[in-house]
Amino acid sequence: MAKLETYKPIQARVAPKDPIKIKSDTLRKLLKDKRAVVCILFLVIVALIGILAPLLAPFDPEEQFYESILQGPSKEHLLGTDAIGRDVLSRLVYGVRVTLTVSMLAVAITFFLGTFIGLLSAYVGGWLDNVLMRIMDILLALPSIILALAIVAILGPSLTNAMIAVGVASIPGFARLIRGAALSIKSSGFVEASRSIGSSHSWILRRQFLPNVAGVLLVYTTLFIGVAILDTAALSFIGLGAQPPTPEWGTMLSEGKNYMYDAWWLATFPGIAITIVVFSVNFLGDALRDIFDPKSTR
Amino acid sequence: MSNLLVVNGLTTQFESKNGPLTVVDGVDFTLKKGEVLGLVGESGCGKSVTSLSILQLLDKYGKISSGEVLYENTNLVNKTEKEMKKIRGKEISMIFQDPMNSLNPVLTIGKQIGEVIEKHEKVKGAKLKQKVVDLLNLGGIPRADEIFHEYPHRLSGGMKQRVMIAMAIACNPTMLIADEPTTALDVTIQAQILDLLRSLKDELDMSILLITHDLGVVAEMCDRVVVMYAGQVVETTDTRTLLRNPRHPYTEGLIQATPHQSKGKSRLKSIVGQVPTPDQYSPGCRFADRCPKAMDICQSNVPPLFEIDGQTSCRCWLYEMKEEVI
Amino acid sequence: MTTTLLELKSVEKKFAAKSAWFQSKQFVHAVNGVSFELNERETIGIVGESGCGKSTTGRCVLRLIEPTSGEVIFQGKDITKLNKNEINQIRKNIQMVFQDPMASMNPKLTIREILSEPLIAHKIPRSEHEKLLSETVKLVGLSENYLARFPHEMSGGQRQRIGIARAIILKPKIVILDEPVSALDVSVQSQILNLLQDLQEELGLSYLFISHDLGVVEHVAHRVGVMYLGEMVEIANKEELFENPLHPYTKALISAIPKTDPDEVKERITLKGELPSPSNPPTGCKFHPRCIFAQDICKTSKPEIREVEGRKVACHLV
Repeated sequence: MAKLETYKPIQARVAPKDPIKIKSDTLRKLLKDKRAVVCILFLVIVALIGILAPLLAPFDPEEQFYESILQGPSKEHLLGTDAIGRDVLSRLVYGVRVTLTVSMLAVAITFFLGTFIGLLSAYVGGWLDNVLMRIMDILLALPSIILALAIVAILGPSLTNAMIAVGVASIPGFARLIRGAALSIKSSGFVEASRSIGSSHSWILRRQFLPNVAGVLLVYTTLFIGVAILDTAALSFIGLGAQPPTPEWGTMLSEGKNYMYDAWWLATFPGIAITIVVFSVNFLGDALRDIFDPKSTR
Repeated sequence: MSNLLVVNGLTTQFESKNGPLTVVDGVDFTLKKGEVLGLVGESGCGKSVTSLSILQLLDKYGKISSGEVLYENTNLVNKTEKEMKKIRGKEISMIFQDPMNSLNPVLTIGKQIGEVIEKHEKVKGAKLKQKVVDLLNLGGIPRADEIFHEYPHRLSGGMKQRVMIAMAIACNPTMLIADEPTTALDVTIQAQILDLLRSLKDELDMSILLITHDLGVVAEMCDRVVVMYAGQVVETTDTRTLLRNPRHPYTEGLIQATPHQSKGKSRLKSIVGQVPTPDQYSPGCRFADRCPKAMDICQSNVPPLFEIDGQTSCRCWLYEMKEEVI
Repeated sequence: MTTTLLELKSVEKKFAAKSAWFQSKQFVHAVNGVSFELNERETIGIVGESGCGKSTTGRCVLRLIEPTSGEVIFQGKDITKLNKNEINQIRKNIQMVFQDPMASMNPKLTIREILSEPLIAHKIPRSEHEKLLSETVKLVGLSENYLARFPHEMSGGQRQRIGIARAIILKPKIVILDEPVSALDVSVQSQILNLLQDLQEELGLSYLFISHDLGVVEHVAHRVGVMYLGEMVEIANKEELFENPLHPYTKALISAIPKTDPDEVKERITLKGELPSPSNPPTGCKFHPRCIFAQDICKTSKPEIREVEGRKVACHLV
């Protein structure tokens, strides 16, 4: 009988790499990507502006300067004032708080419910998958902004309701994407191996699915932040979101559109702010996608 | 027999992050007319890259850095892509391990084979179709008229490989490179395909370079064998001598490790360790750290090919007493 | 004295084939009434060509695929009738090794995490994990420093050693090996086969060894079952089967193995045609269209598997 002790164990050729180092691989790759770094820096600055708004803003966003109504950019009011004499720069700076909070919370709704529905649908499969996905398909048939409109119409116009509406309206698209990613993992050998071992469902979902959809989740969440910012602004623009006098970029844009010919600065600066922020969020999403998509990495 | 293909010191390198990797290192062999030559080795030994180098089919990261490939006394390494296109398919054609990936899924079988013929010959219309059907028949495909109109996904693996073979012989090539032609197939289908290759070889007077990892297939098909290990030729001899009296310790290990060779014995002899990757090659003999017969010299000096009995050459210091060929 | 550990009784699996709406449902009979038993410390080899249902049979034992009918009896219990919790208990005693070790391991987890999974699933106390991990890794011939690695940092042979380690860490009774060496090179393949043999002796394992490679099966198995289109056509001891195959398909299969011995006289039975589609199998004996001995009776009546000379064959002509 052969004795197992006679085995000379195969030694690892090179010293094993520190696993922590490998896990930060994503971060290292991200930092190599110049456009990603620029976007991250910019977004961090934007977030800081929001946090430090009381320190940075020259005036209170709701303070009215009756002597300087509809004034163009000047030394005193760098980005001018609006129809009731409020400082545009201050409103823009405070607007960061509203915009970022609302879109983050909206995306959080999308993220949790979308991931839950997507994973459940893929993992359980069968009739549940069919029912859930048909519902998602029906919702997907409407553009998300129309869906959001319908939801706000039911709940009533307010910033909180707009946030919920934007979050919920993005769920169908998000859930479908996550379901797709999860389905490819479900058919993989290691999930079958996990089942053969006798692992519980929750273990399989946590240890086998989540680490492998984490990349996809991160990419889509980032991309959906851009969508959420736009949708919130759009709802506020048509008066269903933030109510005056809340300094919200969409509301500011809406107020400014009445004075487009007389006071260009009213609509222009919030417009630019929305564009740049959405742009950098999307760029960051693209950069993340390049990192997580194995086909694009050499 | 005269020489059809002579490969001399063929060296192929691939670009990598840490500089060029030499995947094929100074490979020499000769394919004689009417012969089946086996190119044997495990994955990563460079056998497939050798065959791709012969046809200049390397991807953009690979490059032949030295050596020559003489086909009927002309060097293929210096040929332009345009000149090579005339040789591929017409003079030398190739079949691959995975017929599923080698066929275009959106074209019918008839159209695909027809295209190959049109590239090299001026045949059209009904005559072309007849030629394709004849080829399918030659490839042993039943109901050739119907298969002509079928799409690849409708065929089984064995059928697809027959179609690939029919396509490869469409222009009556002088030489066929078969890269693991039966590895993806079941044994009974493998037997059919090997029979087909053998009969086509006689019928069309072809020479075959058969690349395989399976010594059983070698025993069935080949006249002579070239054994490769870690990018180098380690042994060249005729099939019978190789299987009966393997000289290189690697060849010996490979034969003893094949399960159906060791009837009755309860344990297989196995080669310890694993095939090194190109960045791990040792300065001496590349097999030394897995070799049961390794000596001091093996660790430091690369053995040349030694000639034994005039018909075998073997890259091993054990045969240093014998005369050196290269 | 041999004790039967696992017994399959006419296990059947039908897959619903994709059909358009309002069309009557079509079935593919992937496994059709397969019966055999596995004894303690025994290796039974299941061979057959692709699509013969050998892998499906293996998965039916663990209920990774639910069998349509039939019984799988292990330790006196019918596995097919157990509920979800009970089946997980069975999976502690029956483990599986897969063909592609890369695909069967989560690329994001370290070997330590991969090997811990069975321990966590079966609630082995944390304090014992470390000892079991290092013990098992050594048992499969690797050093402990592999535990910190990821699957992609290892070679194919090493990965398969980990696949085996994961299957034996709970000291199961039975290991189902689904083409465990098909993805490996010959020199590595022999290392793994030797390892499997040693583990069997050391741990008293029984193997259900599924493979398309008759050479490998001849080497490792004590008994061999041959499957064709979802049916078991012959089961016999290895020596008998390879020296004197009774079923014409077994004969053809064995004669098709390329021999490495240049002096061995070969009588090759080349099979005509291709494997028929399992969704539309031939009538009578499923092998008759390719069988050189086929008679009229083979076209109409299906031969049942029966005892002949102490072994089992499904053929009218034996």
